[in-house]
Amino acid sequence: MSDDLFDKSEFVSYFRDEAEELLQQIDADLLQLEDLVGSEHLDSELVNSLFRALHTIKGSSGMLQFTGVQNLAHKLENLCDLLRKERMPLSEGCVDILFGGRDFLTDLVDSAINGKDAPNGLNDYIGRLESFVAVYEETSNVIEGTASEISFEAAAAAESEEQAGAGDVAAFEADIWRMVEAARAESGTSAPAPKPPELKAEEPARAQAAQPAAQTPAKQKQKTSAHQTIRVDIERLDLLLNLVGELVINRTRISDIAGTLERALTDKNGAVAALNGHAKDLVPLAKELADSSALLARTTNEIQESIMKVRMVPIGQVFDRFPRLVRDVAKARGKEVQLQISGAETDLDKTIVDEVGEPLMHLLRNCVDHGIETPEDREKRGKPRHGTISLNAYHEGNQIIIEVSDDGHGIDLEKVRARGIKQGLIGSDDRLSDREIIELIFTPGFSTAEVISDVSGRGVGMDVVKKNITRLKGVFDVNTAPGAGTTFTIKLPLTLAIIQALLVRVVDELYAIPLDSVIESQRVEMEDVRTVHGNEVITLRGQVVPLLRVADFFELGGKRDPDKVMIVIVGLQGRQVGLVVDSFQGEQEIVIKPLSDVVGRIPGISGATILGNGSISLIIDVHSLVSEAYASGRVARAEFSGV
Amino acid sequence: MLNMPYDKPKAAAGEKHLSGELIQVVSFHLGNEEYGVDISQVQEIIRMVEITHVPRAPHFMEGVINLRGQLIPIIDLRTRFSMQRAEHTKSTRIVVTEIGSKRVGIVVDSVSEVLNIPLEQVEGAPDMIAGVGTEYIQGVGKVNDRLIILLDLTMVITGEEKSELDSLDLA
Repeated sequence: MSDDLFDKSEFVSYFRDEAEELLQQIDADLLQLEDLVGSEHLDSELVNSLFRALHTIKGSSGMLQFTGVQNLAHKLENLCDLLRKERMPLSEGCVDILFGGRDFLTDLVDSAINGKDAPNGLNDYIGRLESFVAVYEETSNVIEGTASEISFEAAAAAESEEQAGAGDVAAFEADIWRMVEAARAESGTSAPAPKPPELKAEEPARAQAAQPAAQTPAKQKQKTSAHQTIRVDIERLDLLLNLVGELVINRTRISDIAGTLERALTDKNGAVAALNGHAKDLVPLAKELADSSALLARTTNEIQESIMKVRMVPIGQVFDRFPRLVRDVAKARGKEVQLQISGAETDLDKTIVDEVGEPLMHLLRNCVDHGIETPEDREKRGKPRHGTISLNAYHEGNQIIIEVSDDGHGIDLEKVRARGIKQGLIGSDDRLSDREIIELIFTPGFSTAEVISDVSGRGVGMDVVKKNITRLKGVFDVNTAPGAGTTFTIKLPLTLAIIQALLVRVVDELYAIPLDSVIESQRVEMEDVRTVHGNEVITLRGQVVPLLRVADFFELGGKRDPDKVMIVIVGLQGRQVGLVVDSFQGEQEIVIKPLSDVVGRIPGISGATILGNGSISLIIDVHSLVSEAYASGRVARAEFSGV
Repeated sequence: MLNMPYDKPKAAAGEKHLSGELIQVVSFHLGNEEYGVDISQVQEIIRMVEITHVPRAPHFMEGVINLRGQLIPIIDLRTRFSMQRAEHTKSTRIVVTEIGSKRVGIVVDSVSEVLNIPLEQVEGAPDMIAGVGTEYIQGVGKVNDRLIILLDLTMVITGEEKSELDSLDLA
């Protein structure tokens, strides 16, 4: 097919998405296939699923003239064909070759799209693949039956098969033509040509695809992909979300007006104020306005929720690639690890899903490399040879919780501490709580590994985890039990655009504090405020909580109340800090708007929002405010009596 | 409120050597001087509204305003040009400018009119004008007896402030 017949760039982007999905599926299939190594029964549907995926990649890449991808997909397809026809036993070597091929396919797709050179080692790999296949292939040409019949049958079946996109259909038509040609050639001559059998090999697989198959995992997989077939540019959704943001602001404003009007028309006792003449007519109108604004509020909320839901995608999209990752890392480190995934269907905002993959990847690598012991060690400790890592996601309120836990040997706090001292992160006589010691592993450059492996130990990883989670406004918690394992808990907001916030007044301005980091708000008498090294602290239920005066931090001036302080206790990575404000102004749902890049990054401020009355409130970035305050010595270092 | 028509000129007039026969500028007063900015960079002119102070922002950054649901940062030109601050009066205006994708409001003492200045009446910037560094000045236009200082808004908005922001990050 020549280039001028269709817009190539559009197809390339379609191809990229499709290939990504298919490669993911190949990965999942291969992992299942690996479990079957050595077993008597070969799941033919699994092999067929692999086959179909490879075939689709072959077809689409052929259409785009990505010959590298096409060739490799074709060769892998051959291998699968041998497996499917049981001419080749399913061996570990075979699965490894397939895994390798899958990786090279990924690289090739990438380099084809970006016009880069073929990946290193490709030729070596293809050599290995070919010699592996050659052994079995010699016997394969003999058994081809009435090939031409099969071809036409398959073509008919294939036409009825539902196809995902135009590109696929086009590739398909090309295939059918080739089949017809092949069939014609064969009916003319009795000797089977050396090439056509390869083409025909795919037909039965396709025919089977058209039939409703049993609910094997591979089928379910396809079902979930079907959910994702509507592709909408995320920018369009963002625009919609922004518009809804405006709507939410105006809805709040209208409720405000209705409230004000109603108050103006009634006196303190709630009775209708003595009004004369036309003013009396306003009373029912005010009531109607209030009713109508309540209705508007409800509808707006529903629209908002629906749009948020549209942006939600199952976190399984990210989880899908982890079984492979864990397998590879475990294999490289000589460990036996099982990954158990639950809650893959848990939905969260697309932008968060895109960002959460990297930190989770680092966490899992870390679990395999540092958490799980070697099989021998585990047996010595009376544990099963294979370690278990569980990856679990669920909703809790308007947050999503992701837990990564392993049943390894836990974090050795003494070792971490010793390492911290050695690397100069802490002093040798610093008194640290367990939590503060654990915090050390998130310091850039920190590593307890004595030897740097290719998997981890370079000291990058855990700091990336923390940085990414913090950027997503998430919080992070670690629980470790010596000998029993470690659990990392990540709490993320479901969305980043609209949040609940506590409004506070500081000097002349209103500030919004995201409610997810607020623990409580309190009025404290000045006599209960003590000073430690010149910094103010209070004691709250036996815990010392350092105070941070927001007015001082932002250099706003203003007078201090000599009798009392109004405190918002915020929690940050398990630490608590009391923000001193002038007054509390209630909770409100706010739409986060970034401060223009002209204003630049301002420590302690994450953005701004427009309130119901049209005024602007700045949103406090609790994390940067507190860490900056700690760094500049404005806050007393917390000493925990409880931990 | 004076809403400026937003006509995109055929030639980009925001360059050092202004092209075309006539240039159209919005002129305004600041202290005793009269300034002009290219009309294509002016989105609208609004009366003074409440400005929300942004703590620890660069010193010339007055704050942000809410313009129909959009947050617009506000620069006080007097502070920017190291002139004495003045109380806002009834004639104080915010000129909302749009440069690239950035919208920035600048506070000026008063807005006078839209002027057509023949290109041959525009001269290069002299070394120093009334304390305003030449980096902000594109040229000086003569209209009858009036001298209009033509501002390079891009410099006003992004010029020096970058370094100030950098130092803020380090602090």
